[in-house]
Amino acid sequence: MAIDTKFIGKTYPSYTYEVGREKIKEYAKAIKNFDPHYLDDDFAAKSKYGAIIAPPTFAVVFGAYLIEPVFNDRDLNLNMAMLVHGEQELEFFEVVKAGDAVTTGAKIISIQNKEKLDVIAVEVQSRNQHGRDVCRGIYTFVVRK
Amino acid sequence: MAIEKGQTFNGSEKVDKYRPIYYAGASGDFNPIHIDPEFGKMVGLGGAILQGLCTLAFASKTVTDWAGDPGKLKRLKCRFSAPVLMEDTISVQGTVTDVQSGRARVELRVVNQQGVEVLQKVEAEVEA
Repeated sequence: MAIDTKFIGKTYPSYTYEVGREKIKEYAKAIKNFDPHYLDDDFAAKSKYGAIIAPPTFAVVFGAYLIEPVFNDRDLNLNMAMLVHGEQELEFFEVVKAGDAVTTGAKIISIQNKEKLDVIAVEVQSRNQHGRDVCRGIYTFVVRK
Repeated sequence: MAIEKGQTFNGSEKVDKYRPIYYAGASGDFNPIHIDPEFGKMVGLGGAILQGLCTLAFASKTVTDWAGDPGKLKRLKCRFSAPVLMEDTISVQGTVTDVQSGRARVELRVVNQQGVEVLQKVEAEVEA
């Protein structure tokens, strides 16, 4: 059952994620990254950012709020049992700080039907409360047939 | 730090038994293939496998540790090419392939203890 290419261009409602300081710390520890920019309040306050910042890849934490509705999209009907994360691309702009409110939207940018598998790419764009870009991600998933 | 073409750097990370559980909690990725070894065996993966994005975070850490400022990382991409299992050791080696208009392009080799590339086509861009 191939993914219908008519869904190319489909967008998903945006979600605003509030970036918590303790969530950043939890994430940093989970990826075994003990950089004081993420974990040390005093260091962070004196840094050029003036606050705890999120590791760049934290973008996938708020990004996930837009990937979930793609996975759960009944019209798109992805076969989750056969789906694997194929590729990931992340482009970073303004650094994300604790206390930011990051609004993310998503759009399906490509669907390819191949003989044994389908490939779907989702573009995820995130902006902070100042309206400035923080991250653009492309998530590529492979669904075996 | 002056970044120059040909510069190299590296890092490594041991995947302890509970890493996918910590990562699941922090990221929200509770897919059973990551947290349930029996499920992982059932679907032919030989056990639970680490979230690919956690492996990418290890690679990212190697770059930001080297750059000294996480804000200098401007771009990161990869292909997930082989599963990472518990007790694996992931080694990351970065090589600066080009420096142009304030941006350094870095290619990364990310392998397990057997030398198998768990990520491929790993590229980063760093403010030089």
